[in-house]
Amino acid sequence: MSEPEIKPEVMRISWGPQHPMSGQTRILIDVDGEVVRRIIADIGFTHRGIEKILENRTFIQGIVPIERMVMADTANIALGYVQAVEEALGIEVPERAKWIRSLICEMGRINSHLYAFGLQVECTGYFPAVFLWTTVDREVLLDLFEKLTGARWSYSFFIPGGVRADLPEGFRDEVRRAVRYLRRRFQDYWDAMVENPLFEMRNRGVGVLSREDAIRLGATGPVLRGSGVDMDVRKDEPYAAYGDLDFKVITEKEGDCLARLKVRFHEIEQSLNIMEQIADEIPGGPVRTKVPLFPRSKPGVEALSRVETARGELGVHIFTDGGLKPYRVKINSPTLRNMYVFERLAELGRVLVADLPVILYSIDPWYLDCDR
Amino acid sequence: MAERLTAPIYGVVDYLLTWARKFSIWPVHFVTGCCSPEFMQVSGSRFDMERLGVLPFASVRQCDCLMVVGVISRKMGERVKYLYEQMGEPKFVVSVGACPTGRGPFYDSYATVAIDDLVPVDVYIPGCPPRPEAIIHGLMLLQEKIRRECGFRAGKE
Amino acid sequence: MQARSEEELVEELKREHSELLHDAIVHRSKRVSVIAKRERVLELARILRDQYGFTQPVSAGAVDYIKEGRMQMIYYLMNPKTRFMLMLRVDLPRDDPRMPSITEIWDAMNFHEREAWEMFGINFEGHPNLTHLLLPPDWRGGYPLRKDFRGEGIRP
Repeated sequence: MSEPEIKPEVMRISWGPQHPMSGQTRILIDVDGEVVRRIIADIGFTHRGIEKILENRTFIQGIVPIERMVMADTANIALGYVQAVEEALGIEVPERAKWIRSLICEMGRINSHLYAFGLQVECTGYFPAVFLWTTVDREVLLDLFEKLTGARWSYSFFIPGGVRADLPEGFRDEVRRAVRYLRRRFQDYWDAMVENPLFEMRNRGVGVLSREDAIRLGATGPVLRGSGVDMDVRKDEPYAAYGDLDFKVITEKEGDCLARLKVRFHEIEQSLNIMEQIADEIPGGPVRTKVPLFPRSKPGVEALSRVETARGELGVHIFTDGGLKPYRVKINSPTLRNMYVFERLAELGRVLVADLPVILYSIDPWYLDCDR
Repeated sequence: MAERLTAPIYGVVDYLLTWARKFSIWPVHFVTGCCSPEFMQVSGSRFDMERLGVLPFASVRQCDCLMVVGVISRKMGERVKYLYEQMGEPKFVVSVGACPTGRGPFYDSYATVAIDDLVPVDVYIPGCPPRPEAIIHGLMLLQEKIRRECGFRAGKE
Repeated sequence: MQARSEEELVEELKREHSELLHDAIVHRSKRVSVIAKRERVLELARILRDQYGFTQPVSAGAVDYIKEGRMQMIYYLMNPKTRFMLMLRVDLPRDDPRMPSITEIWDAMNFHEREAWEMFGINFEGHPNLTHLLLPPDWRGGYPLRKDFRGEGIRP
């Protein structure tokens, strides 16, 4: 008996906001059998209009909405805004405040990378166990934040002029203890997950992004560094205390999902080294310069500040007009750049539907960041 | 004689029914905003919410609770309404965070929506983000509400 | 392409391509601005990409100067070798905000131009897909980031 011929047709799948592994976005996938022909990212499900809101808040009130861009990594984003405000108003920051800022930023970076690592492993085979291990390890860091600031995620600790309060008694020993605990756990993660042959099979050679494509398409963060480009704002334009600290920029050459995972992994190691350096060598002194609560800006001043968040480079560009509130705040978000790279990946190489969640989470999107 | 026997049986059946319902609240796996990491911490092993029977589940038709975690934008508001209409009775809605309750820190934005305009809500949990203890307390309030209202005699008085 | 410092770049642009731009300024170390003429912006962009090595697109956005009657569109570009940021600015009159789309030169400006269209109303001629990115597809409320937007809840 002869069987009817199968004609390949393109089917559009809507991978929508209510899905365990999609996040707060909708991805339309044009599929031909198993091969993905086209990806369309339909973002905007968490659009809150932060840029418009910031025009209606004074400079210090603006920290609250902008922090809620990436909840796992609020330190780096708040630092971008605060540094732009300080540049626009001409405020100096004391040395000790810069070192404390670097310490909190590195803790935020580890927090975010643990989240990304857990999600990428979870979507590889739906192993919620590893995601829950990373959830518990993040509790160690959240306890440190709570001792320091009183809040777990949205601490609003950086203000123009420095930080809000000094480190409490015994905080540096707590930091050292947390670093020792996390180092032990990362050895477990490496053995269980990264050196696991099943995991490698699903991640090696998947979603390859070459060096030229990564630069041309505007990738940033671990996506860019996983393809061999060593751009990191902490080394290109040192801010806070990064000029005095000793750390390496991690790059990998292959550009596939495993390379991006390894970049995040080794970045966590570098962050732990930085935390130890700061705990040992932090200078003394004041932590804040006296700044009026509602400073008035000079008209026509612009300030662009770039910081390296866990996902990539964030830019905050402030325009002033002589009032108590900024005239316009433009935020250059890292995830919006990486989502464009994700859309073009179907054209660069052969992508199968089953690999799509793995590729999406190796790019590590946080949709609140790209929708603002 | 028959009436004197059936009344205590109704009470026992009522108790068992509400006990089973309140200790197996399955919310839809649906996070809308930035309170989502705190929600995931609640499902971790320190503030375990599965000991209360709460398991985030993927399919809407088999869930009985819609936990709206975080800020709702206009596009997402349509999806919240669709999901509410697709769940089967009895269904509950929990609004987690300050943003769904009253737009939170984005109170003057053109793009955010409060949940009262979309679906009827049972429990509001304030906070930005609410602490895990607050989320568990909110779930326990929902359990008390189920005990009072969802039994065998619900709607018969 | 040898690495150039910010001042050398600005001098060379003003010397060789002065008919394509209004001005080129150095704000501070690693921040350079070039204000291009609206009709010649594509040529200038091509020269910046091919001759001066600004191959990495970062972002794009606009500012609404309502009192001066203009809008300014800013493209943020990065050179992977010299690592400083160049802002390519174009002034557009507020009653006729349209300009050629830069996606011909840097493909990744696609999303950013869509956002500038839906927030400010700037029409990019030649853009492959000028549809709503962040707002719902049936949005009829106007252009939110303009200064005269009277949406709900925005206090004047």
